[in-house]
Amino acid sequence: MATFGNNNLSAKLVLLGDMGAGKSSLVLRFVKGQFLEFQESTIGAAFFSQTLAVSDATVKFEIWDTAGQERYHSLAPMYYRGAAAAIIVYDITSTDSFERAKKWVQELQKQGNPNMVTALAGNKCDLEDKRKVTTEEARAYAEENGLFFMETSAKTAINVNDLFYEIARRLPRAQPAQQPAGMVLADRPVDRSRASACCS
Amino acid sequence: MDSDPGPLPPGDGPSNPNANPRPDPEPKPQEYTEEGRLSSLTLEDSGNAAGARAAASNGSLSADFYSGDEIEEEEPAAASDSVDEVQRAAGEARASSSHGGVAWRGNLEEDGDAPPSPSSSGYAGERGSSGESGIEEDDASVSWRKRKKHFFVLSHSGKPIYSRYGDEHKLAGFSATLQAIISFVENSGDRIKFVRAGNHQVAFLVKGPIYLVCISCTEEPYGALRGQLELIYGQMLLILTKSVNRCFEKNPKFDMTTLLGGTDAVFSSLIHSFGWNPATFLHAYTCLPLAYATRLAAAAILQDVADSGVLFAILMCKHKVVSLVGAQKASLHPDDMLLLANFILSSESFRTSESFSPICLPRYNAMAFLYAYVHFLDEDTYLILLTTSSDAFYHLKDCRIRIEAVLVKSNVLCEAQRSMVDGGLCVEDLPVDSSIRSGSLSPHLGLDKTAVGSLSSRLGTGGPAGLWHFIYKSVYLDQYVSSEFSAPINNSNQQKRLYRAYQKLYASMHDKGTGPNKTQFRRDENYVLLCWITQDFELYAAFDPLADKV
Ligand SMILES: Nc1nc2c(ncn2[C@@H]2O[C@H](COP(=O)(O)OP(=O)(O)OP(=O)(O)O)[C@@H](O)[C@H]2O)c(=O)[nH]1
Ligand SMILES: [Mg+2]
Repeated sequence: MATFGNNNLSAKLVLLGDMGAGKSSLVLRFVKGQFLEFQESTIGAAFFSQTLAVSDATVKFEIWDTAGQERYHSLAPMYYRGAAAAIIVYDITSTDSFERAKKWVQELQKQGNPNMVTALAGNKCDLEDKRKVTTEEARAYAEENGLFFMETSAKTAINVNDLFYEIARRLPRAQPAQQPAGMVLADRPVDRSRASACCS
Repeated sequence: MDSDPGPLPPGDGPSNPNANPRPDPEPKPQEYTEEGRLSSLTLEDSGNAAGARAAASNGSLSADFYSGDEIEEEEPAAASDSVDEVQRAAGEARASSSHGGVAWRGNLEEDGDAPPSPSSSGYAGERGSSGESGIEEDDASVSWRKRKKHFFVLSHSGKPIYSRYGDEHKLAGFSATLQAIISFVENSGDRIKFVRAGNHQVAFLVKGPIYLVCISCTEEPYGALRGQLELIYGQMLLILTKSVNRCFEKNPKFDMTTLLGGTDAVFSSLIHSFGWNPATFLHAYTCLPLAYATRLAAAAILQDVADSGVLFAILMCKHKVVSLVGAQKASLHPDDMLLLANFILSSESFRTSESFSPICLPRYNAMAFLYAYVHFLDEDTYLILLTTSSDAFYHLKDCRIRIEAVLVKSNVLCEAQRSMVDGGLCVEDLPVDSSIRSGSLSPHLGLDKTAVGSLSSRLGTGGPAGLWHFIYKSVYLDQYVSSEFSAPINNSNQQKRLYRAYQKLYASMHDKGTGPNKTQFRRDENYVLLCWITQDFELYAAFDPLADKV
């Protein structure tokens, strides 16, 4: 849950997606500014925290980088429970990973917090020549499901900070926890994310 | 073939060192109903009892086992390969009228202890649990056939689960062969344990729907190979729990490789440790040498968090324990610690940040996950906090912050680093005149090395009385100390050879068929080995082969 105080927010953020989609790489790019060509598969989930300053507040993200390996799927609720935001990651060079991302979206819609800020990230957009999932297809899906969408590259850093920054901006502010924040999502123009999609 | 003597008619089996499989007058076809199989493969821990019986029967094999002490001798190019032998064994098992005289020759020569090479795509997570190297190998490739020690895991329906070498998916045919051998014997109400084929041994372990097989030409005793298979099985349970059996109940053809994705490194590191880590056969753990006060400081703060609802708090430096505390009545089995440390040290993922992962301790509770908070405090030192509660992360994180503050303040981390650099006991530092008694080689921690060292007078190589190396295990504490390797045992091949010699000692001393052994001397061209076992301790020592009995 996003909590508020003195213009300081603390927000739990969870990354979900197929193994190898690049969740850990996105987090490491965002938190440490690093990219590893041989990033190892995550076990369980790794925890990171990172603070971001947006125009009106400081947001401290408590990030859960979950494991995409199949054996951990049933344990995902333990990590997304109570999250204020989620990034669902797929790999633009893999249609399987896009299908898997859709399953995560469904699961969050069923189980998650209705106020959750949810982003769909098409990662590895530096691999344009191997692309299997078109930007249009993914964007249409995101619009239908009320997600905001970006194509990212943990390798080149394209859109990585923007992704987290955009989530920080969309988090509900200074509202009692019960109040619906779906409007916050709605009052952000979709074309904002359109503008920041790379490779399109 | 040496199978479980239990259900065999008397007179067949144990007395015959080359015991053939029970001749089956009518080779059965390999078809069976899944229901029938499942009922015969329910979880049974009677495997242990059966194992004890097998050990007894293996007593009669010892002449064969111990005939040659050179373990990794290369045979000149010989006729066939280990895999052919197994395939032939399948034929033999079916048509066995007499195969006592068949000499199976093999030539597995590469011992795969080379570091694993990254897969071509560079992403370890994307394939299943394919073996540690030679990803392009399959059972048709020469390199695969020449490996010295293979490990395979397969399901009762013959689906590959893990292979040390080669991509297990390409080994489907080979897996089916192994499955045929095992189920052939199982179907006759018996259990296959061991096949000796020329200079190759094939050890089998059946764990419900999961079959584990080792094929080696390393001359390790059956008991040692079976112990290794047990650890591999335990490592799988640590990752998945025993509830994985339910997947096989629902679907006998279930493919387990997907559940083990990204764990190659865990298994190859475990298999590698069979050659260097005595904990794998001693069933004991070892501690990092530290001053008493330092360890006390670490233990005090760990005890503090254990009292706040943490099941186990473990501070480790690589494979050595700095301090270990359990909640009331909870006790941690040394094998679980070994598997847990191996899992953490071989998964790069734990080093990136704090992590919170489901983990099963097979000896503690094989059916359920615990949750492990893992954090590396420095390059080598890491803290593991285990809990039964899946929401405990923030509490454990707070505990870690408190622990870390105390460890830094009381210098524990620096001392641990220093101890890692200094290493353990050296035989050269042992006092010359003291005989080897439990008192002089206390496993209790904080043994002051410099004090011992000041009493010593150095001999040419090795320690007093030609002592080259020793391991001392305290039965009560589940702990062992071992001396550092020094000349003349100074490369990893020699170390592995010595460990294998200790393993043989261990196996023969713990062989229930040979009675309560107290001491044993063994001399070969490499060393004189001494083993001394009492109710309280076990001592294994290697001396200069020219040394006299002390
Ligand atoms: N070219 C390219 N490769 C990437 C990018 N992001 C990640 N990778 C690579 O893709 C592989 C998988 O990345 P990870 O970050 O481990 O993927 P993950 O989603 O965390 O995977 P799990 O932890 O198994 O769930 C690694 O080898 C990365 O180097 C990217 O933007 N571009
Ligand atoms: Mg990851």
